[in-house]
Amino acid sequence: MFEISSVAIYVADDFFQNQLTSLADGMDSKEPQRSLPKILVVDDERRIADTLGEILELAGFHVAIAYDGWEALERAARFHPDYLLSDVLMPQMNGVELAIAIRKTYPSAKILLFSGQAGISEILLDGQKQGFEFELVAKPIHPSKLIELLKAE
Amino acid sequence: MQPGPDKPQPDLPAKVGESVIDTRLHFAALVNSSNDPIISKDLSGNILSWNRAAARVFGYAEREIVGQSILHLVHPDFQHEESEFQRKLRAEEPIDPYETTWVRKGGGNIPVSITVYSVRDETGHVVGASKIVCDLSERKQTDESRFRLAAIVDSADDAIISKDLNGIITSWNEGAQRMFGFTAEDMVSQSILRLIPERLQYEEDEILRKLRAGQRIDHYETTRRKKNGEDIDVSVTISPIRDGSGRVIGASKIARDISDRKRMERMLIQSEKLAATGRMAATIAHEINNPLESVMNLIYLARHHSAESGKAHQYLLTAEEELERVSHIARQTLGYYKDTGSPAEVFLHQLIENVLAVYNSRVTALGIAVDLQFNDLQKIMVSRGEMLQVFSNIIANAIDAMRHGGSLKVSTRKLAGATGDGIQTVIRDGGTGIKQEHLERIFEPFFTTKGDLGTGIGLWVARQLVERRGGQISVASSTEQGRSGTTITIFLPFATPSSRLSSEQG
Repeated sequence: MFEISSVAIYVADDFFQNQLTSLADGMDSKEPQRSLPKILVVDDERRIADTLGEILELAGFHVAIAYDGWEALERAARFHPDYLLSDVLMPQMNGVELAIAIRKTYPSAKILLFSGQAGISEILLDGQKQGFEFELVAKPIHPSKLIELLKAE
Repeated sequence: MQPGPDKPQPDLPAKVGESVIDTRLHFAALVNSSNDPIISKDLSGNILSWNRAAARVFGYAEREIVGQSILHLVHPDFQHEESEFQRKLRAEEPIDPYETTWVRKGGGNIPVSITVYSVRDETGHVVGASKIVCDLSERKQTDESRFRLAAIVDSADDAIISKDLNGIITSWNEGAQRMFGFTAEDMVSQSILRLIPERLQYEEDEILRKLRAGQRIDHYETTRRKKNGEDIDVSVTISPIRDGSGRVIGASKIARDISDRKRMERMLIQSEKLAATGRMAATIAHEINNPLESVMNLIYLARHHSAESGKAHQYLLTAEEELERVSHIARQTLGYYKDTGSPAEVFLHQLIENVLAVYNSRVTALGIAVDLQFNDLQKIMVSRGEMLQVFSNIIANAIDAMRHGGSLKVSTRKLAGATGDGIQTVIRDGGTGIKQEHLERIFEPFFTTKGDLGTGIGLWVARQLVERRGGQISVASSTEQGRSGTTITIFLPFATPSSRLSSEQG
């Protein structure tokens, strides 16, 4: 199911290498290893959320997926994510609102927003007014570039 | 008011010989019928005759005044002049017509203009003088209101011009001078066509036709030409001028400069165009960028699940590369392209190479030769996204200017500038060049030479971004056949402006 060798092309640093090795070791086990970095992927475009979920699992993350902000908050309550990757323009709760909620509950979680649309500067500005700034990248983004960004400290 | 000159007047002196009676009566009638006072006096200044107009204007009956001194009529302030005239008269010196003030019976000044003729006897000696007195009180009033009107006309901001029915200018106010640059001397007795651009000269025929028919033209918006050749947007109101009998003898034309308003209108249209483009881009962006993201993810996954040695793997790799090209364009044109995070150290030439890669297919298709000379050697702290936009806008313009091929030269080098060391980038195209009159406007927002295809913000944005970074951007261009082209020079200092760190907001 996993082709570890090709994943390794994109994940070069030791930390991820170790995770992958352990992932490979424990591949038979359904239960992911506790030490895997946990990432919550949120996008109302299900195909994007699903494919990214797979890609990030390949890259050595333990992945949880949600298709809207409220669902994301519910999942986060049990999942305790180390990372949040979220779309910005979503119905009901936008990415910035979600990110603020996650930041408050899990201050150490790394948050990355992505968007395929112009006209979100107001949403970001709302967040800034409340004192929250988040890193934002433009869709479409190549998966390897995305992984690189998530790894970067 | 106009007494008939033909009837003999009953109060005429009748002591005349039979043979000359006709002539004398005729002269007497003529004098009496004159609308202007006519007075005669002897050499000592005593009044000898007094016509009816004199009686009307000065209020004295003939019998009251004849035999009295002429000084009775002269305002005390001017009586000294009278003795001088008496002297001249006796010395047979000519007396030019003069203006003075006389007083009517019972008081009341009357401004008058006086023409003096000497009266001689049969031997040719001067025995007295006749004076034709012209009552100026009405003219003075007319003059005053004319001066007042002239002052109003001259102080107006609008150009106020009068012309005859052949379109020949008859007056030209200061506003016209300010608006068109021509002086009254330049323009009076010239044709109004001098102000009308060739393509609009048919308008004047129509205007003259309407004027002759006695119609006026209200707030007609058109274009006129200044002395320096520039066009100016004006709103003109043209009304016929009539003489006393109501006949149209010319026209007055009031032109108002509306170029500011027109410019605003054009900017509004442009910004509306831009906003519409923006809205469309935003709508499309969602529908393009999201599927692109999915496809990119799917191909990535497909590649990872294919045998690395197989052909499929290779195909998917190529597909991914192609998709990356599309994605790049989509992000730049449709999406929200912002490199978040603080400025980063980059090699400027790498950034420029990235931009060129995006335009590579167009460059190849148009047969443009690209010549790169990178000597920047040192990284510089910039916002990647902003500088991508700067170079992308400039290179896109360069390519647009080279529809039939040419050479695009891009060079970077480290330079010691006045504001410290930095990197100078020179982008030179061999395109059509920018006309001199456009050159100073190309950094203005919404100015474009690309018609409806341009948004007119590319270079404006580029300048904002460069200057915000503490750099400078300048342009040089030539449209001369055979050596046309445009050079854009950008200097970015290594030092980032400190003000930006403290005051950056929005």
